[in-house]
Amino acid sequence: MRGFFAIYRRELAGLFLGPLAWTLLCIALVLNGYLFLLYLRGSGGDVDLSLRFALGETFLFWVLCILFPPLLTMRMLSEEARSGLLEYLLTAPVSDLAVICGKFAAALTFMALLWGTVFVYAIVLAAQGASIDWGVVFTSWLGAVLCSALFCGTGLWMSSLTATPVVAAFAAVVLNLVIVLLPLLAGLSGVGFLAIASEAVDVPSHLRSAFLFGVVDSAYVTFFLVWTGFLLFLSTRALESRRWR
Amino acid sequence: MSIAARRYAPRVISVSHLSRSFGSITALDDVSFEVARGEVVGLLGPNGAGKTTAMRILTGYLPATSGAVSVAGFDVMNRSLEVRRHIGYLPESVPLYRELRVQEMLGFHARLHRIPRAEAKRRIPQVLERVGLAERSRELVGNLSRGLRQRVGLAVALLPSPDVLILDEPTSGLDPLQRIEVRAILKELGEQHTVLVSSHILPEIEAVCPRVIIVHKGRIVADGTRAELVGKLAGGSHVRLEAVLGKDATSAARLLGAIAGVRAVRDCGRVGIHQQFELVCESDLREEVGALAAVRGWALRELSWRAPTLEQLFARFAVGHEELAPAAESAVPAAVNEAPQKIEINLGAPVAPPAAPPARTIYSLNPFDRGAQRDLSRPVSSDPTQEPPKPG
Repeated sequence: MRGFFAIYRRELAGLFLGPLAWTLLCIALVLNGYLFLLYLRGSGGDVDLSLRFALGETFLFWVLCILFPPLLTMRMLSEEARSGLLEYLLTAPVSDLAVICGKFAAALTFMALLWGTVFVYAIVLAAQGASIDWGVVFTSWLGAVLCSALFCGTGLWMSSLTATPVVAAFAAVVLNLVIVLLPLLAGLSGVGFLAIASEAVDVPSHLRSAFLFGVVDSAYVTFFLVWTGFLLFLSTRALESRRWR
Repeated sequence: MSIAARRYAPRVISVSHLSRSFGSITALDDVSFEVARGEVVGLLGPNGAGKTTAMRILTGYLPATSGAVSVAGFDVMNRSLEVRRHIGYLPESVPLYRELRVQEMLGFHARLHRIPRAEAKRRIPQVLERVGLAERSRELVGNLSRGLRQRVGLAVALLPSPDVLILDEPTSGLDPLQRIEVRAILKELGEQHTVLVSSHILPEIEAVCPRVIIVHKGRIVADGTRAELVGKLAGGSHVRLEAVLGKDATSAARLLGAIAGVRAVRDCGRVGIHQQFELVCESDLREEVGALAAVRGWALRELSWRAPTLEQLFARFAVGHEELAPAAESAVPAAVNEAPQKIEINLGAPVAPPAAPPARTIYSLNPFDRGAQRDLSRPVSSDPTQEPPKPG
């Protein structure tokens, strides 16, 4: 993993030196904050429930989860492949895995930062005198981050397959959509293999059934880590295969 | 570096029977060469000859289809990371992160190459100074001009102080002044590093690289020092003589042919009262010819020397598809090293010209008259009152 930190730092700097990250952050914070207020009002001041809504139960959460990671990762490999920057990276004393992991970690850091704003809500509410279950806040955040990690993985994989960022983003969004909607599809169609597949990659229920209630189940953590790891492995292979094409 | 010195110096780059094909297109076909430590080698060839492919394989960016490549003693395929630690690479397109400052770009590469922070802090200004970017270290890479970005690329390649520098067209896109500067940098680098430079611009290579490898259509067509290659060029260098000789051109030609080192004398005909000769010889024989003219009392009008340039050589190989046989060295007759005063004048045999000289055709390198041919065996200027005599 030589050079991991160099690439991580560079990618993070690259994200925040461009306008994209700031725009995404702005949109997400405004929407999330406004909706959180609505949940809070709608639930009659139930802080735990509102936080749970903000991190996993609502439509907006899944929209952000599906859309943002591909937008962050779309340029990371495809644009560099096109501009020739990959030629630098792949001839520097850095392993392919370090390149992939560094970029992945940068995208994930951004998403963690994005979801981390719930801590601000919690802190503000705590200052107003509400009793906050910090454990639930933390596990909800952890679940959101793990879920985003998986979607960053798909984004990076798609980015490694094509030299056009927009194509990479589109393909990743479609793939993410399929992953999230698979349980729904399986339920609706009743096709056998879809049910099996949805059991294997049922992201929403893995997030909802444990993390949002303050439970860190190692099986569920492993579920996310294994899928993310598998996607990173595929990305590394795809990067390697560039040399062979 | 002489051949002998090259033979015994440790080999930094060793390529044997390297082939690479992209689908049905063969980019490199059985290429073998070696580069010793401290050598500066120019990879010369027209566009699409396989230079960039060769360099990418050397850096480990592309795998070879077949053949073995080792750089700095490590196999490029199996010990890729070790190889990468020993090379500095400037890709053709000079890709850089546009949103970073020059200094940050170098800092990033310093971290990639695991240069300790204190050392990086010391080296970065040094390298920037060297490529002439010291005042622009705070500027954004994206705002720099093409030439300056090229220099940033060079700085990036130099930063880890690599054993081997692989520079793909380092002077493309530069203005003439910048080219001269880059050439100066390359010359300086050659003293400390092993450098492999590619270019399709001949004077570039000629100015910087003592050794040249000419690649054409994925094959090496010539490999050697400039002098070696030029020596192999049948014809060698030419001394051109234009003088008032009186009527007897044949005996003058015989005398000229008797000078040691002269391989052939070509009678280029008469312009007015001046007789023109072209002497094919191993080295610059102007003094000898001048001395002969003084002794014979010829009134000299022109005495000039023309060494074949790499450009002519390149044109022969690249455009004429002529391959240089390794045995071509033996084309030089053994008589070359005889005593300076070759007394024997073979009066019987017709010395000059040896036979009807074949019309020498030169292929123009001017892209607008590709394929245009000129017959150089005929005098360029001629007496309008007189039909120029046929040689011989």
